[in-house]
Amino acid sequence: MESRILRPTLALYTVLFLLFLYGPMIVLTILSFQSADGGPQFPIREWSVYWYEHLLGFAETSRVSQLPVGDSLLRSIVLAFMTTVVSTVLGVMSAEAFRTRFKGSGPAFYLIILGMMVPGVLVGLGMALLSNTLGIARAWWGTSFVLHVVYTYPFAFLVMLAIFNRFDRTVEEASLSLGVSPAQTFRRVTFPIIFPGVLSAMLFSFTLSYDEFARTLFTAGRDLTLPLAIYGTFSVEIYPNIFAFGVLTTLFSFTLLVIYGLLMKRFTSKASRYSGQEDA
Amino acid sequence: MTALTTDTPSNTHSPAELREKKDRRRAIALLTPGLLWMTLFMVLPMAMVIYVSFWTQTTFSVNSTLTTASWERFLSSATYLGAIWTTLRIWVIVLIATIVVGYPVALFIGLFVRNKTLQTALLVACVIPFWTSFLIRVIAWRPMLGTEGAINVILMKLGIIHEPLTFLLFSEFSVLVGMTQIYCVFMVGPITFMLGRIDISVIEAARDLGASFGTIFRRIILPLSLPGVMVGSIFVSVMVLGEFATAASLSGRKTNLLGNIIVSQVGSLKWAFAAVAGVVLTIIITAVIALALRLVDLRKEM
Amino acid sequence: MLTLNQVSRRYGGATALDGVDFVVPENTYMALLGASGAGKTTLLRLIAGFEEPDQGTISLNGARIDGQPSHLRDIGFVFQNFALFPHLTVAENVAFGLRHRAHAPLTNEAEIKDRTDAALQLVSLTGFGHRGVSAISGGQRQRVALARTLVCEPRIVLLDEPLGALDANLRSRMCDELKAIRERLGVSFLHVTGSETEALTMGDQVAVLANGRIMQSDAPDTLFSHPGNAEAARHLNAWNIFDAGLCRGDLGQGPIAVRFDQIDVSAKGTAPSARPSLQATYLTGEFNGPTALSFFRAADGTLLQVVDHLSQPRLPDLVEGQGYDLHFAADALRQFHGAA
Repeated sequence: MESRILRPTLALYTVLFLLFLYGPMIVLTILSFQSADGGPQFPIREWSVYWYEHLLGFAETSRVSQLPVGDSLLRSIVLAFMTTVVSTVLGVMSAEAFRTRFKGSGPAFYLIILGMMVPGVLVGLGMALLSNTLGIARAWWGTSFVLHVVYTYPFAFLVMLAIFNRFDRTVEEASLSLGVSPAQTFRRVTFPIIFPGVLSAMLFSFTLSYDEFARTLFTAGRDLTLPLAIYGTFSVEIYPNIFAFGVLTTLFSFTLLVIYGLLMKRFTSKASRYSGQEDA
Repeated sequence: MTALTTDTPSNTHSPAELREKKDRRRAIALLTPGLLWMTLFMVLPMAMVIYVSFWTQTTFSVNSTLTTASWERFLSSATYLGAIWTTLRIWVIVLIATIVVGYPVALFIGLFVRNKTLQTALLVACVIPFWTSFLIRVIAWRPMLGTEGAINVILMKLGIIHEPLTFLLFSEFSVLVGMTQIYCVFMVGPITFMLGRIDISVIEAARDLGASFGTIFRRIILPLSLPGVMVGSIFVSVMVLGEFATAASLSGRKTNLLGNIIVSQVGSLKWAFAAVAGVVLTIIITAVIALALRLVDLRKEM
Repeated sequence: MLTLNQVSRRYGGATALDGVDFVVPENTYMALLGASGAGKTTLLRLIAGFEEPDQGTISLNGARIDGQPSHLRDIGFVFQNFALFPHLTVAENVAFGLRHRAHAPLTNEAEIKDRTDAALQLVSLTGFGHRGVSAISGGQRQRVALARTLVCEPRIVLLDEPLGALDANLRSRMCDELKAIRERLGVSFLHVTGSETEALTMGDQVAVLANGRIMQSDAPDTLFSHPGNAEAARHLNAWNIFDAGLCRGDLGQGPIAVRFDQIDVSAKGTAPSARPSLQATYLTGEFNGPTALSFFRAADGTLLQVVDHLSQPRLPDLVEGQGYDLHFAADALRQFHGAA
């Protein structure tokens, strides 16, 4: 009946939607192979990898200045790593706390969730004002870092909350009944079982922090992170080197995703899912 | 039996109460670092924004003499009031656009695709663009919409137009298109999740009873997917309202959101004005979130 | 010896346990029978220390254990869902307690392996040690759960509906094995179940838990033939409980109980005058193989059941909807005083 028309229509719509999602990136990828004298638009004068060489510093000096990729990339990775560690630890601790019912859990929940809702430009401004007033120097590893955690910790918390919701606490009780202390129980039983969730929380935190710039803009001080370096090009004319850069960072992100996938697979193949207990 | 009972005085706590107390203490201890972090690095900075909005702005600096001068200037300036209006307008348009664009996709993935693998694959396909830097995704619209961009080139080749369309880039239109593309996935995700929870047999039963798709949609699908629309709307709203990068990159400085005002004021060291804009933005976002939370219990839906 | 003294536990307004007095003697298989929601699991969780009582004391061999953290109580617990550690192999599951317990953990790998192997042998799982816990059957998981508990030599083992997740065949086999294993080890088992057959088969002693209290705790044959109160009788699923006033003869008032197999049926008005009798309408019958069950409705609406053994049929041919006389020997009835 109607679904005979509806179904193909929706399928076609979804394809168009995906084209809408991917179109700009496809065009950007094509234009990243523009020749040295070509601009950031069509037509492609000649296919080349000039702008990749330019980006990596292999090209001879040209009219276009090189993107400050190297140092800022390193800073961004270190910052994302620091953020990941802290927000995952905080997220696991908070989610563990929420397994017990206690008074005031509602406000505490919303206080944490607020971190992902407050616009970066606002907390960034607030932090800049605060550090000005207190006379603290702004730095990516200080003022920016704490704001990144404010942003990613709620995500890690929500991921862990979902994991603990499905967690069967009888395995912990089993461990206690065998004479194993609560701390050892967490280390030997709880943590290994929730580990896939921890990995997801880490992945979330890392990517969010790695790409975050609204919270970094006012708080990073002199040294730029990668998104700030890109943002800096917004005000000036753009060249295909930024397209080449976009392609490379995307590839880099996919590498991370693959590493995550491999870790996940390695872990889940070692111990099949917990639900394996129910089917007898 | 009573002879064996070691009578516990009524003023001491029972083991159950002691255990409960211990559990509560443990929960609070686990939660303290996180809440402390949020208080110091989120609540305190936000309080600072409000405080500084009442400071005195001089040409190159601010001092802590309290005054409402910045507020008066802000509220009497057509530029700043215009920014509030622009922010609200763009927020509403983008919110509607993401729902309109995203809902059918969610409907297809969540309800019409029965194959779990294909469903996952389609969802992953929606999420993959997030692995490109946000700023790169914004900038990718420039070669798409520019006068010599892909769309104009294609339309000219097809002979549909003879002059390149100039309104595509560096206009409010490009900002709206860019934001819709970037944020509609936050709408597709929650709606798909909610639709995926609908028991297909309910729909089939309704169809067997002769209900048309229109009726099924109105009576079953739409009500059940509304929490997803609400959650998606919260996501999209907070992100769009705090935006400035898309406008900065794609509007050619024609569109000034409150976020852009803050950035430009900070750039010229007008901290007090930036703070005023920040407080206004906070008020708007608080109102929007408060409204949304009245309609949906976030804690239950997540 | 495990002793519970006036143990109570409330959840909000609901009372799960209401002053439980209960003793599990040394070297005993104690079966605890109760309907679902009667507080059986709560009782075990209090003993194991996963929860604490609101009132009352729990002591083991004379020393109080309530208030102690559960990992220091030295009490084994076998869960209904087995609660095996999904990330460990069978052998690692069994060795877990020995290796990681707070008190006197073993560090000698050879000793751990010997004791693990011995425990696996005890539950007939020799050679399964390297398997993942998801790669074995439900019955095998149950044995792993048991081995994991027993290898730590707890002072008492609590089993929470340990056979509930198994199919009927496996259940009866595990019954025998559980009993045999317990006898070899000489440790007390407290086995909680909702099935009266299971409780009566397994227990050296059977206790009935109802309304948050222990109604009776006795040897299975004593309990079965001489339930001390209406609640205990009701849980055995073998007794008709009805008001004495329904009967002809001077039985007084209050609830009385007559076993399903001790009631005879005759046509209306033909009951022997020496025997207490009552009138009831035949509803329907149920054929269970070696026995047949007939259902009657008494004048006040009480449902009555009569069991007939096919080898020695006592019942006449019954017509649905027709009234009959139900009668029984005067010494077959049990009269309860006090609360129903």
